Amino acid sequence: MLKILEMTLKTGIQTTKYPQEPDIAPLDFRGKPEIFPDSCTFCGNCVAVCPSNVIRIKEDNGEMVLVLSYCGCIFCGRCDEVCSGGAIKLTQEYEMASRTKDDLYCIIRRKV
Amino acid sequence: MTIEDEVHIMGQQLHSRITRIFGRSLHIREVDAGSCNGCEVEVNSLSNPIYDIERFGVHIVASPRHADMLLVTGPVTRNMELALLKTYNATPSPKLVAAMGSCACSGGIFGDTYASGGGVDRVLPVDIYIPGCPPRPQAVIFGLMMAMNTFEQKIRRTEVVA
Ligand code: SF4
Ligand code: SF4
Ligand code: SF4
Repeated sequence: MLKILEMTLKTGIQTTKYPQEPDIAPLDFRGKPEIFPDSCTFCGNCVAVCPSNVIRIKEDNGEMVLVLSYCGCIFCGRCDEVCSGGAIKLTQEYEMASRTKDDLYCIIRRKV
Repeated sequence: MTIEDEVHIMGQQLHSRITRIFGRSLHIREVDAGSCNGCEVEVNSLSNPIYDIERFGVHIVASPRHADMLLVTGPVTRNMELALLKTYNATPSPKLVAAMGSCACSGGIFGDTYASGGGVDRVLPVDIYIPGCPPRPQAVIFGLMMAMNTFEQKIRRTEVVA
């Protein structure tokens, strides 16, 4: 009995302070993939490897359009691995809850 | 400003005060609609001493009849479609539906195949999407707080011309 009490006192409070205080994910955490539009060459490597098919590239009125939806993304990091120009990077961001699917889109366009 | 406007503003302030004081309890029924159980592990960890969502008045209940919110995981497989609908109908209104995990949001890794429904929103109206595979407990807490109007949505649609 005393032993248990001693252990409890030693352990102290372990409950996280989140959400009163921000909780930064570990450095190697695979969170929201961020796209750097200027580095993207529209090579299509990420489209080919994405296991859940959430990256699409299409041509629209003489514009190249890359569409990424965080909605079905499984945060595997394959796109980050194959992108030669480093245009897509997984970040530590995880607070992605959204009321609409539309807010989960990231779109980049470029004139060819 | 007319008297009506003032009364309206005071009413709104009172309402937000009441929601702040009383509107903090949320009862959740977790529905596994064909998930890989990764998401369930995270839901379990929500009630452990480290994340402890009971401190926000969020409880996980054993029956949809006691629930305010359905927390649905998985892409809604064919076998679970009817069960999910029945659960939804058994939940008293007003009710919220949260799609937890990429599968529930839009099919995720299971996609849109012959046995998988490709997301909860094909069957039920979804109020909150929580992406992640699985979302870390903090991300789920954030989503729940957003559903309770304690937090504002962070993510916005981005469209850049490069
Ligand atoms: S993000 Fe990278 S891999 Fe994808 S199209 Fe652009 S340059 Fe290619
Ligand atoms: S992290 Fe994986 S699932 Fe998400 S966009 Fe990249 S390749 Fe696709
Ligand atoms: S989102 Fe990922 S962890 Fe959750 S049920 Fe689907 S595959 Fe499993």
